[in-house]
Amino acid sequence: MTVLPSTRTNYPRRTPPRLDSLWADPVVAPIERVGAHVGGLGDPGTLLLSGPAPSPGGEGLVSHLSRWGTVPGIDGAGVRALLRASALDGRGGGGFPLIRKVETALLGGGLPMLIVNASESEPSSRKDRVLCAHRPHLMLDGAALLATALGVDEVVIHLHRASGSPASILEAAISDRRHRGLADPRWRISTGPDRYVSGEASAVAGFVDGGQARPRFTTLPLAVEGPSGRPTVVSNAETVAHLAAIARVGPDAWGSLGASSSPGSRLVTLTGAVPQPGTVLELAGQATIGDALAYQGLTDPPAAVLIGGFAGTWVLGEEAWQTPFTRAALQCLGAQPGCGLIAVLPHGACALTETARIVRYLAGESAGQCGTCVAGLPRLADSCEAIARGSFRRRGIRKMTALADAVLGSGACGHPDAVVRLIRSTLDVFEDDVVRHLAGKPCRASDHPPVLAVPRADHAIGRGDTREWE
Amino acid sequence: MSVEIRIDPILCRGHAICALFFSDGVDLDQWGFGKVAVAVVDAPRDIRRARRAAAACPNGAFIVRERSQDLANAPARPHPESSQPVA
Ligand code: SF4
Ligand code: SF4
Repeated sequence: MTVLPSTRTNYPRRTPPRLDSLWADPVVAPIERVGAHVGGLGDPGTLLLSGPAPSPGGEGLVSHLSRWGTVPGIDGAGVRALLRASALDGRGGGGFPLIRKVETALLGGGLPMLIVNASESEPSSRKDRVLCAHRPHLMLDGAALLATALGVDEVVIHLHRASGSPASILEAAISDRRHRGLADPRWRISTGPDRYVSGEASAVAGFVDGGQARPRFTTLPLAVEGPSGRPTVVSNAETVAHLAAIARVGPDAWGSLGASSSPGSRLVTLTGAVPQPGTVLELAGQATIGDALAYQGLTDPPAAVLIGGFAGTWVLGEEAWQTPFTRAALQCLGAQPGCGLIAVLPHGACALTETARIVRYLAGESAGQCGTCVAGLPRLADSCEAIARGSFRRRGIRKMTALADAVLGSGACGHPDAVVRLIRSTLDVFEDDVVRHLAGKPCRASDHPPVLAVPRADHAIGRGDTREWE
Repeated sequence: MSVEIRIDPILCRGHAICALFFSDGVDLDQWGFGKVAVAVVDAPRDIRRARRAAAACPNGAFIVRERSQDLANAPARPHPESSQPVA
């Protein structure tokens, strides 16, 4: 009988997950096929990642200013015009146009609050960390511009406490800027608990307001009224870095780096069965997932890739290889760019086992607030593990899908929905495998050692659990 | 008039009392936690039921809002910058 690698019993409990130790150091790597139209501003290969090679303190202010110049003096209306012309979309996962958040926040009452979310809760994602650690000034420039667009003079940068946090690098960068006398807003660095749902926008906003880093139930968008009562804009670190680039190269040149459906370049993180998991690449134009993997030396499509995060969508390797990493192209496969994670499943590994590990982890990462999420996710994880083990009955599938339907849309945040999406995509893409497992004949692949660096599912959950949220 | 109903899943403790008063408007899952079946209610009779359910919910999780509070209709309060031309 096969044993699942990450069921609760197989791992020692109570050990806090050391996310750091699971991955190699991030590598900043330019990808060559990016258009030369940004050549004047730095390495013609990339936009956000262009510049000097990775160094411990990140790119210094002198180097940054010599490459990009100071932030152009644009007023709020000008920045909003840039946002509108570029149609910059959020890169944290939701893909929501930034201009709509900004305009909504300006419509509402009171002074808006601006939070740059660099917490990157997705355990294998590295793009925001790489950006903050290696190009801190580009991110800060973008945050300053967004503050101008909102007419606010304070920016909160939210990070997670652990996992190689770039907090010290950002602090050094901020003090350099102050010495240099740059016209910046006031910066405030906030560090919160390192948990999956703590990076959700309402959790971040609530934590910054002095509460726990758990999602809030909201009847109005944060941009209308955040936990503090003020309109709150939470924007991802990569998104604001793009804004800094747009202000320099112009929305047209920036847009032409992408496809018409998803303008601009895009940062992705490779993980799973690649030579250097944790590598961050910048993809532009019609760069395919195959191109990204070929950069890491892969020559043939893998068995499958999980796109957009752990709670993402599985796509068969053959299909994914040819697919540009753009919103429209991924949509054809039922996938979304999400946080830009590309997790590679090699041939010979078992997608059902990997999914079961992920679902168990995600179930443990519930914020323990909403009944159906607390009760339903562990049950779904049980089912996924039973399928992977080959001990699930065919009848169980109907129950499981009914459970998934009940869980969908039941929470205050999108966490349960994301888990259901992952499960549905697994049942859909790996139908043949599921049928074999249901017949009690899991393939040999289910003995394959774990491929994806899923943290241990060892968080105790339950209502009223207030540990680790402050 | 129409109202919007929401159940705050964080406050909801699965008493299922709301469903006693407004069974058509609430789906209960296997644990008794409610999920709204119809988000917008406009029949006066159903509005009454929804309001009763809201009053009966011991946790204040059942929320009935008049639609006029919607984002789209929310009165725009002036903001220091919003008076500038947006272009
Ligand atoms: S749905 Fe789950 S993760 Fe989201 S707030 Fe509720 S309990 Fe927390
Ligand atoms: S009565 Fe209130 S607490 Fe009970 S199920 Fe309905 S909404 Fe939830």
